[in-house]
Amino acid sequence: MDRNNLIKWLKEPKKMGNKYSLWAVYFSTACGVIEVPPVLTSRWDAERFGIIPVATPRQANLFLITGYVTTKTLKAIIRTYEQMAEPKYTIGFGSCPINGGMYWDSYNTIKHLDKYIPVDGWIAGCMPRPEAIFIGVTKLWGMIDKGLATGYIRYRENYDYYRGNQEKLFGSMEWPPLYTLKEGTNDG
Amino acid sequence: MKLAEFIISPILAFIIGIFLMGLSRRIMARIHRRYGPPLMQPVIDLVKLFSQRTVSHGPIFDIGVILSLAGTIALILFIPFGGMCPLEASGGLLVILYIMLFAPLGLALSGGEGANPNISIGISRKFILSLGYEVPFILIVLAVMTYYHTISAVDVVKAQSSFHWALFSLPLFLPGLAYILIIPAMLGIRPFDLASAPQEISSGPMAEYGGKYLALAEIEHAFSIFITIALFVDMFLGGSGNVVYFFLKVLVVFIIGLLINAVFPRFRTEQAVKFLWKWPSVMALAGLVIVLAI
Repeated sequence: MDRNNLIKWLKEPKKMGNKYSLWAVYFSTACGVIEVPPVLTSRWDAERFGIIPVATPRQANLFLITGYVTTKTLKAIIRTYEQMAEPKYTIGFGSCPINGGMYWDSYNTIKHLDKYIPVDGWIAGCMPRPEAIFIGVTKLWGMIDKGLATGYIRYRENYDYYRGNQEKLFGSMEWPPLYTLKEGTNDG
Repeated sequence: MKLAEFIISPILAFIIGIFLMGLSRRIMARIHRRYGPPLMQPVIDLVKLFSQRTVSHGPIFDIGVILSLAGTIALILFIPFGGMCPLEASGGLLVILYIMLFAPLGLALSGGEGANPNISIGISRKFILSLGYEVPFILIVLAVMTYYHTISAVDVVKAQSSFHWALFSLPLFLPGLAYILIIPAMLGIRPFDLASAPQEISSGPMAEYGGKYLALAEIEHAFSIFITIALFVDMFLGGSGNVVYFFLKVLVVFIIGLLINAVFPRFRTEQAVKFLWKWPSVMALAGLVIVLAI
């Protein structure tokens, strides 16, 4: 942890600020959120690393997808993700967002979250322990440091792909595209 | 010299306000038996917020935040602290009473453009709450002004020099106690955090702020923490000609408010107004009557 490294702060304040002030949007998609309150409160105290929960997506820059994602929840997830301020980071939490987990043959759950929104990292397990969240956050720090946590840039550049997948799943979408779509690529 | 004070006093107020914000998170964490964030955490947050890309909802949305911050900075110039008061000759406590309304009005203006139902609820709660605490606040300021026969904040501080603190003098004891009771309502902390309740109305007036807007709102909050407590220190604890002593007095009052914040749950809107119009108002009114009688 290089939070007190003054030279680094002066050299790249933007990167360091994003590293040590991750505000997580308080949005529980499924059962995985049961592991989050111990992380935030007295037992594991995530606030010592600058991680706090915030109530609105406008203020947040970290999004934990906790547990399985039903198609109905996915709509809310996409809207929340598009409202967050850039740079923003997404972490898939638990095995369900990775490959469907125990809902692998469910008609109502999506299997691969990263087809619909970009994901910067995964925490595997069912359920992952609170310690796993800290390991995940440490990995995310490393990625921000090396400039690898570029999910929001990928979303902007490959928006046709993501929007196409979303439209394929939902049929029609109730809200207009976030970025302009390129011609001809979106025929799904 | 006078010109330098226009720059120095807002900067000092900002440093003290940000320090108090960091300290409050630290002390709250220790009361919860946690380790807590570093003291510099609000500064880290500000660096991050200023580096974010955000959405605007229109020109009024931008102007409202700036108006609220500008009103708060202007207010600092009227408050004597550490021997400085850049605008001491212009109206004193009466002007302070008026300019204090700028910050919530600016936020309301900007929130109206945000068009989020949570903002509307938050703003209406904020105004009902300020209706609640303005009544005792005006009575308190009236009692102080009547007792010292002046409207100048600097003269009030001068009259209390050499430990004739108003809080421990008989006629002004009750208004002082009333001010302590309304400090949490003026700061918007528990038990009066109903305007920005994150669990009920997703942080109310702040719901649409992100990035730079939130950063400006946080800076405004840091200033308003300082102003509310500095006014109490000036009117009841004798102010100070020395910045360090002044800061120590502010710190003691702030920590008392913080301990109340740490242990109490939130009032509902009507409970808050009922409390504010009952105890602080009655105390301040009794103080005013005693001041007029002697």
